[in-house]
Amino acid sequence: MSATPAPAHQRATAESPVARIVLIGVALAFLGLFLLLPLIAVFAEGLQRGIGPFLDAIVEPDALSAIRLTLTVAAISVPLNIVFGIAAAWAITKFDFPGKGLLITLIDLPFSVSPVVAGLMYILLFGSSGWFASVLADQDMQIVFAVPGIVLATIFVTFPFVARELIPLMQEQGRDDEEAALSLGASGWQTFWHVTLPNIRWGLLYGVLLCNARAMGEFGAVSVVSGHIRGETNTMPLHVEILYNEYNFVAAFAVASLLAGLALVTLVLKSVLEWRFDYHRGGTGH
Amino acid sequence: MGITVSGISKRFGAFTALGDIDLEARPGEFLALLGPSGSGKTTLLRIIAGLEFPDTGTVAFDGVDVTNQPITDRGVGFVFQQYALFRHMTVADNVAFGLTVRKRSTRPAKAEIARRVEELLDLVQLKDLGKRYPAQLSGGQRQRVALARALAVEPRILLLDEPFGALDAKVRKDLRRWLRELHDRMGLTSIFVTHDQEEALELADRVVVMDHGVIEQVSAPEAIYNDPASAFVFDFVGESNRLPVSVRGGRAHFGGHAFDVATDGTRDGDATLFFRPHDVEIVGAGAAALPAVVSLARPRGGGTRIEARIEGREAPLELDYTGDAPPRPGDRIGVRPLRARLFPAG
Repeated sequence: MSATPAPAHQRATAESPVARIVLIGVALAFLGLFLLLPLIAVFAEGLQRGIGPFLDAIVEPDALSAIRLTLTVAAISVPLNIVFGIAAAWAITKFDFPGKGLLITLIDLPFSVSPVVAGLMYILLFGSSGWFASVLADQDMQIVFAVPGIVLATIFVTFPFVARELIPLMQEQGRDDEEAALSLGASGWQTFWHVTLPNIRWGLLYGVLLCNARAMGEFGAVSVVSGHIRGETNTMPLHVEILYNEYNFVAAFAVASLLAGLALVTLVLKSVLEWRFDYHRGGTGH
Repeated sequence: MGITVSGISKRFGAFTALGDIDLEARPGEFLALLGPSGSGKTTLLRIIAGLEFPDTGTVAFDGVDVTNQPITDRGVGFVFQQYALFRHMTVADNVAFGLTVRKRSTRPAKAEIARRVEELLDLVQLKDLGKRYPAQLSGGQRQRVALARALAVEPRILLLDEPFGALDAKVRKDLRRWLRELHDRMGLTSIFVTHDQEEALELADRVVVMDHGVIEQVSAPEAIYNDPASAFVFDFVGESNRLPVSVRGGRAHFGGHAFDVATDGTRDGDATLFFRPHDVEIVGAGAAALPAVVSLARPRGGGTRIEARIEGREAPLELDYTGDAPPRPGDRIGVRPLRARLFPAG
């Protein structure tokens, strides 16, 4: 990533070498200071007493429970959001109906609402004095301060990822392929399975990846509805916070390292997908 | 298979795409829907296909009402403007698609499907390209794959939306001839949409000229050109000059000059006079003709194309001169329309 010497033939838009070095330097310094250094710090803090305490913090029952819960929540919310996302993108791009603009706006709502507010909405609906409190009490169901509430909050904050990824892609592809399949006698399901899904697969994978990263990392909304019951309703991000507040830094950073590791894996997969995605889009242009 | 369209209308919001359309395609006929963009020709084609549903009216195939049948059940072949080939499938898989999605009970065996695909690729002269992907083909080849795919389900009706729109001129001409042969050989009833009049006149048995959601004329190509039913058709098909005239006593008057034209019962008053560039006689200035000044003369075809300005009209007249000594720019000439048509102003 070092600055290379200026090529002999400069393009008109290229800056002078000095300006270039300064710009690149500033960008790199900024990235290093605000992104790379903290990331390294997380791993360094976690490992400061060696690998033993690091692993102990991860295999400790409460931590394992948090990891299990995080994976469970992701395993429920990501597939649901795949279905919701495809359905919403399909409806928006393949059909014309009144209220389409409103639907598009609604899909963006989770991005514009603070996660804390999202969590509070569920408390307001399903909490002990919420709108559906009596119904829930009759059925002896607990949503808030339990796993269902965490799943709901996670679905809410991760809802846009798949739909947002698919809408522009499906808009660009139009309806011709689907219409062609139907004209050849394919059923709706065959059309989706053999034509639509293959056309959107890379975009879909990309959206799923982002959705998953957010589902595992979500703190704000989950924190509000979780109730922070150790070993029961703590996800990994919440577990990190509790450990940190208890001055158990090694354990906190060890679990945080695990989360950061997941994020890094996601980034690598994302880059691979982007590369494939571009290749596929570029390779099939008319 | 005959197609009968009766009383079809279609609106998109406030926009009337089609207003009360009646049309009949006889079995084995090759029809062209010709019109400018926004004339409703594509909407009409999509309604016949079952991709769009009319607000009123019916569509019948061989007398059987199919108005409410979706495209899946109509058994028509449809070729899309951009071909809509499945990009993740090989050419052979694209062609086989209509057979492989059939219910088990009616689906041919694998070997039979492969044989049919082979046959169809042979028919569209793409025998060795079955293993390629659509992205690896040229425009003309993609077009032929799209045709083979549509023909695989053995439709009796073939509908094509701007089938040559995305091709360059040379390929277009070859494909046109080839498509016409294919149509005749397979005994199809075909309708294609185009905005290219040359294509429509050359290829179709009858041409349906549309504008603003209504049919202006349905005729054989010669009649469309030689006997246009409306001012729009005269203007849209072929080259033409238009003059605003007033009709009095069986003659057309323009700026103090009068022509003898067949008024066809056109009532006295304002009208528009149309004539083709080659339907004029160019005479010397001063004769009993429309006086004009030549502004441009360039060789064209076997003769000379002349642009001449006349008083009281912004755009120059386009005229063809076939004699030996064409007039030169600046010359004063007289223009005498030999065959002209009057349409009431409106």
